[in-house]
Amino acid sequence: MLPPVDVLLLLLAWGTLVAVDLVSLPQAMYSRPVVAGAVAGWITGDLEAGFRIGVLLELFALDVLPVGAARYPDYGPATVAGVLAASGAAWPERTGLSVLLALSLAVLGGWSMQRLRMANASAMQARAAALAAGSPGAITALHWGGLGRDVVRGMTLMVIGIALALLVRVLPPMSPRWEATAAAVAVGGGIMAVAGGAWRNAGRGRRLTWLAVGLAAGVAIAVARAVR
Amino acid sequence: MTGRLRAFGRLFGVQADWNYERMLGAGMGYAAAPLLGELRDRDPARYPEAVARSADFFNCNPNLAGLALGALVRAESEGVPGPQVSRLRTALCGPLGALGDRLFWAGLVPFLSGLTVVAVALGGGLVAVLVMLLCYNAIRAASGWWALRTGLREGMQVGRAIGESWLPGAAERVGPPAGFAVGLAIPVAAAWLLGPRAGALVPIAIGIALAGIALAVFVTGRATAIRLTLALLVLTQLIGRVIP
Repeated sequence: MLPPVDVLLLLLAWGTLVAVDLVSLPQAMYSRPVVAGAVAGWITGDLEAGFRIGVLLELFALDVLPVGAARYPDYGPATVAGVLAASGAAWPERTGLSVLLALSLAVLGGWSMQRLRMANASAMQARAAALAAGSPGAITALHWGGLGRDVVRGMTLMVIGIALALLVRVLPPMSPRWEATAAAVAVGGGIMAVAGGAWRNAGRGRRLTWLAVGLAAGVAIAVARAVR
Repeated sequence: MTGRLRAFGRLFGVQADWNYERMLGAGMGYAAAPLLGELRDRDPARYPEAVARSADFFNCNPNLAGLALGALVRAESEGVPGPQVSRLRTALCGPLGALGDRLFWAGLVPFLSGLTVVAVALGGGLVAVLVMLLCYNAIRAASGWWALRTGLREGMQVGRAIGESWLPGAAERVGPPAGFAVGLAIPVAAAWLLGPRAGALVPIAIGIALAGIALAVFVTGRATAIRLTLALLVLTQLIGRVIP
């Protein structure tokens, strides 16, 4: 069943805000998948799907350091679309396909950010003379222009994401065995991403030691919960 | 609202027109405008030069941009020669980028995200998410306000002030807790996502993770986790829809 239009409009608005938060304004971290997913789950009425897709994509996002000129995937709007695709289905049904959609959208988001930065540079070149003359108006126009372009970028990503998520929702599921396998592949990919990133960031000092301590404590918690 | 408060507010959007030419230069110019207003009345000849300089190339971690912004505005208002102001601007890029990236992107963010993942997996729900947002934004706002005030107070001496401040120590100390939180999150999140009846799925997930890490380390830098996962998910969908 397709969600009502007001839910889709709320997701469009939330996904756009999330896209803009990543770099432009206000970088308050609600673009983190664990946050974006939880709110998207609340909007769709399936908080559980929001948490699960959010946590899964957070594992991928932890691999990324969003520094300077680097090109990195945009996981925020991707998470919102992924939650829409997964909501309403019992885990692990549609999980693999929802994560496939979300990761593809995240890559597209990274590419769109690079295009946005080029468009901002073009706008700057067009106002080079005014900037050199010290015109505050030119600076203000550049600033709001950049913000406006990012809003358009986020909204476009979300329109694509929502359309693809609705498509995922109407596709017939695979057999339960394959749905579970696809979910395990997605979780394995998440572990691969977060473990790779953690290893790279740890270096050889105290951080590496504490990473190992955290892993051991995490395994102990997971085993204790499984036994209980 | 005072110029200082308006500049502080504008610093939250300092990257809105980030580009490959001046990076966050124009964003710095936009944030500096409320503070440079005073110069327009006091020294009308210098004002356009100062505005032009305020939007020159600049790059650093956005959360510490206030240090540079404050110091540069103070230098302009004290009549420091233009080339010297530009040299300070250039000199601050590297340290503020390195310190801020270590403190925020490689430290605080993975620390809070890792703990939030664990808390959600253990049933913390929306409260865990809200606590993460509150903690991050409280720390960020407090450090941003401190940065702007310190920059405005120290002016050309801001480099020394940064070195003697809490920043280098905090950037160093946040690494181990971040490593711990991420380490903790990996098994807890994986176990929660796979569920109590995961059975045969556990070796699949762990096998993929280990194979992917090995590929990324030993084969090629292009074999990123996201690319490998995308390829495997497409393959699973293709096989799963052909073989029921």
